Amino acid sequence: MIALTKSELLKLRTTRTAFGLLLGMSALTILVSVLTGLLSHAGTLSGTENERQLLGLGNLAGIFSALAGILLVTSEYRYGTIRPTFLFTPRRPRVLAAKLAASALAGLLFGTVGEGLAFAIGYAILSGRGIALSLGGGDIAQLLLGTLASAAFFGVLGAELGTIIRNQVGAVITLLAWGLFIDTLVFSLVPSVGRFSPGNASDALIGVTEKNLLAPVTGAMVLIAWLAALALIALPLINRRDVL
Amino acid sequence: MTAVVKAESLTKRFGEVLAVADLSFTLQAGTITGFLGPNGAGKTTTLRMLLGLATPTSGRALLFDRPYAALAQPARRIGAVLEATDFHLGRSGRDHLRTLAQVVKLPDTRVDEVLRLVELQAAARRRVKGYSLGMRQRLGLAAALLGDPELLVLDEPANGLDPEGVRWLRDFLRAFALQGRTVLISSHQLAEVAQTVDQVLIISRGRLVVESSLEQLTARIRGSVRVRSAQPAHLQHALTQANIQTTTSNDHVLLVHGATSDRVGDIAFAAGIPIYELFTEGSSLEEIFLELTTGAQP
Repeated sequence: MIALTKSELLKLRTTRTAFGLLLGMSALTILVSVLTGLLSHAGTLSGTENERQLLGLGNLAGIFSALAGILLVTSEYRYGTIRPTFLFTPRRPRVLAAKLAASALAGLLFGTVGEGLAFAIGYAILSGRGIALSLGGGDIAQLLLGTLASAAFFGVLGAELGTIIRNQVGAVITLLAWGLFIDTLVFSLVPSVGRFSPGNASDALIGVTEKNLLAPVTGAMVLIAWLAALALIALPLINRRDVL
Repeated sequence: MTAVVKAESLTKRFGEVLAVADLSFTLQAGTITGFLGPNGAGKTTTLRMLLGLATPTSGRALLFDRPYAALAQPARRIGAVLEATDFHLGRSGRDHLRTLAQVVKLPDTRVDEVLRLVELQAAARRRVKGYSLGMRQRLGLAAALLGDPELLVLDEPANGLDPEGVRWLRDFLRAFALQGRTVLISSHQLAEVAQTVDQVLIISRGRLVVESSLEQLTARIRGSVRVRSAQPAHLQHALTQANIQTTTSNDHVLLVHGATSDRVGDIAFAAGIPIYELFTEGSSLEEIFLELTTGAQP
């Protein structure tokens, strides 16, 4: 299993795709952090929720690690490398497990880089503008660890989504539609249901307390439940579908 | 002798289409078998089922007495090249092989070894995007050879190879089989593999039509008379009346079996059917292949 995971990590490292995503994420995180920090009024930057929002802009890593997870699976179908992959490892659930593990690790890296950048920039701007930090040490720890965990979560979610949908464009569109529209729509219409979505559960995990979010621990459990549910859909599909 | 590959009533149905029907055959160690049939005959589907990529609708395929997926490390016993295009274009050839070598815990030195073997070391660190089709074929072969397999399965390996590459492949496969290893090689052209294989499996519309040695197949073509006429249907009728077997080759050409050209000419004359061309076939394997795969009963 370790050899298989290393192989999947090697796949990630040996094309430009993952590096491109990492670079894109970093650029976007820097841009948004700097603009938010410099253009907002001091009043909308102070207070725990506002600070959390600025310092937690690294959660942009979520969507990028989900894309990395999707591409780790769908590019194999797109380029046909899934054939040699399955020829070398005909027990397909093992391939799936290795891809999920590799995507989680990639997500951790994305989260570390993204949140590292966002936190450093946000912290520098807040102190530069003389805004005293009102978040406690525990809050900050939760924010940092939660963002990492959530980026790893989205990496796995992406790989599962890619396994279920297989078509690269279809999987990416599904992710974006789900993350950017459906989640927001459901949450604004029926918050009691919408708060269970991956995006809102991960907000709860990093400590966001506004709105009608779940408690952090419940949020973590909901995220795990999402991964388990998608794995249960993906597993029979990867086993059953022919690779022609 | 051990059966390296054993197909038992393999059948694959895609909705209404019966792609492979009740296909059974056995391959012995040390042989090179040509798996032949026109495009769409079910060759590719059959190979996918042998290698566990597609599940048979019924029947089963065994390699070394087990289904592919039940082999502990199949890549150490079986190497396969299914498509010449199965690479990420942005990854180097060497990195592609490394991702696979990692799975079966082979060192990078083995990767460099197979790259040398297929004479690809110069381009090894370049991205596959810049490879010619022939180079991609050889990279695929390198991947198949990584685990030093006892059985090689190649789907249309000559596509994209120049004549020199074809000769190289032929020599390579010969040497491979001389070591007691086994090769299954598919092609839609008999001529392409006739100089390489010992035996042939010919399928047409998903069914096995011939399983024989190449010599037996060659022997079958003797005594066939090719006749071109404006009225092939009438001629066919007249010949059938005389108890002579015929097959249609194309709109105007009949292949006549078990009769001399003189006899065919006499019958046509007696029936008043004009003939434009009449000769005895001596050498074309391709003809018998066409004849066997265009619906004629052997």
